[in-house]
Amino acid sequence: MQETVIEAGRSEKYYWQDLWRFKELLWILAIRDITVKYKQTIIGVAWAVFRPVLTVSVFVFAFDKVAKIENKSEIPLQIIIFTGVIFWNFFAMSLQQVSNSIIGNANLVSKVYFPRLLMPLSSVAVPLLDFVVGFLVMIPFLIYKGYTPTLNIVFVPFFLILAFFAAFSLGVFFASLNVQFRDFQQIVPLIVQYGFFVCPIAYPIATIQELSWYPIYQWINPLAGIIEGFRWCLIPNYQYFEWNTIIPSVVFVTIMTILSVIFFVRKKIHLLILFNNHCN
Amino acid sequence: MTVIEAQNISKRYIIDHIKGNARGNTFREVVTDGVKNLFTKKTAEEVSREDFWALKGVSFDIKQGDRVGIIGSNGAGKSTLLKVLSRITEPTEGKISIKGRVASLLEVGTGFHPELSGRENIFLNGAILGMKRQDIKNQFDAIVDFAGVEKFLDTPVKRYSSGMYVRLGFAISAHLEPEILIVDEVLAVGDAEFQRKCLGKMKDASTSGKNNPFCEP
Repeated sequence: MQETVIEAGRSEKYYWQDLWRFKELLWILAIRDITVKYKQTIIGVAWAVFRPVLTVSVFVFAFDKVAKIENKSEIPLQIIIFTGVIFWNFFAMSLQQVSNSIIGNANLVSKVYFPRLLMPLSSVAVPLLDFVVGFLVMIPFLIYKGYTPTLNIVFVPFFLILAFFAAFSLGVFFASLNVQFRDFQQIVPLIVQYGFFVCPIAYPIATIQELSWYPIYQWINPLAGIIEGFRWCLIPNYQYFEWNTIIPSVVFVTIMTILSVIFFVRKKIHLLILFNNHCN
Repeated sequence: MTVIEAQNISKRYIIDHIKGNARGNTFREVVTDGVKNLFTKKTAEEVSREDFWALKGVSFDIKQGDRVGIIGSNGAGKSTLLKVLSRITEPTEGKISIKGRVASLLEVGTGFHPELSGRENIFLNGAILGMKRQDIKNQFDAIVDFAGVEKFLDTPVKRYSSGMYVRLGFAISAHLEPEILIVDEVLAVGDAEFQRKCLGKMKDASTSGKNNPFCEP
């Protein structure tokens, strides 16, 4: 017979075991988010196609036709923007979803037990689905433009995982803080909005690579390396990416993930007190 | 055989009292206060933290087949005790050992999503309460039958009447088949006939060797 022992500090010790035991719930919560997102829409998942296509068209118009950004790479700006936007959408949406995952599930937190880390984890399902759909739209476009991806494409999951952990770790911090300080709900949209311009999404990295502060930029913007890696996977003969530039990103993401998870698991007790006081 | 053994459980909450200007709890205030406190020494009158013991030194044993009700006035700690038992919050002190599969029902329809249909919510709620997908499939017809919502299975639950909502929520929990069922004031809703049905279901469960601690206001 299954025996449970409840004691102060015990759930923290067995957190990972518990997380594994509840893996089925992770799946169910993910399915719920996806179903709810596209319920009551007429064209459903087709939105996942429209959104990136529309964004790319607008930015190609704004940057290529109106602003006429100097393109120092030989790759057409449309391709730079398309690959950048697909990637950025995944990162930005994951960050937003993860940050709101605890508040969004507040009704569960005060009423039933399960490892709370399941909420931020499952909330990445929607951005992931959108990414896959967007990706499948992008590939024919690349082929049509004469940039058929090479075998490097097998490295896409690696960069996707890096982007996932970057968004997840940052989001988990915000998710825990969000419970107490709604200020963070205001911060995340700003990060998403300005991050788009700070990272090489709508312009080629070649534009800034020659600048004197570029080596510093690489260290303080760990996303830039991941984005360039993603482009390297898709665009043949992409010469702007070297594997050693990814090191700062890997270091950053690993440290952030470990810290944020520790923070989240510790903070949990505090979260619950708040919830218990406010919602019953 | 003892199935729940609680030794000396205590649960403490900390309440902040701040004298003088009422301080909010926004990020700005916490940061500025933190900085202020670096330079000025807090005097005991300015900030006082009071311990609030919602539970103190609670011990009990529950044997197999027992049906236990917890009664008490408002604020006596009934809900806190059930929250500790269902692992939503950890006790500050003490130890509880529970033998058997626990299902706790602190609210009917926990995690129901208003946009999802009754059918989808049965699977969602079942999983949240700790049922395996296969168990839910096996019990599906019985749940629908018990709740009496066959006609509205594919209707989003936001269109359900509150009675239907509660019936569906309870029906799922009633078919969890746990060895220990923890219930908190959830039967206060629903009409007399449905309440009778629920109590009947609980009686069945307890005669088949399960335990039901439950709490009513």
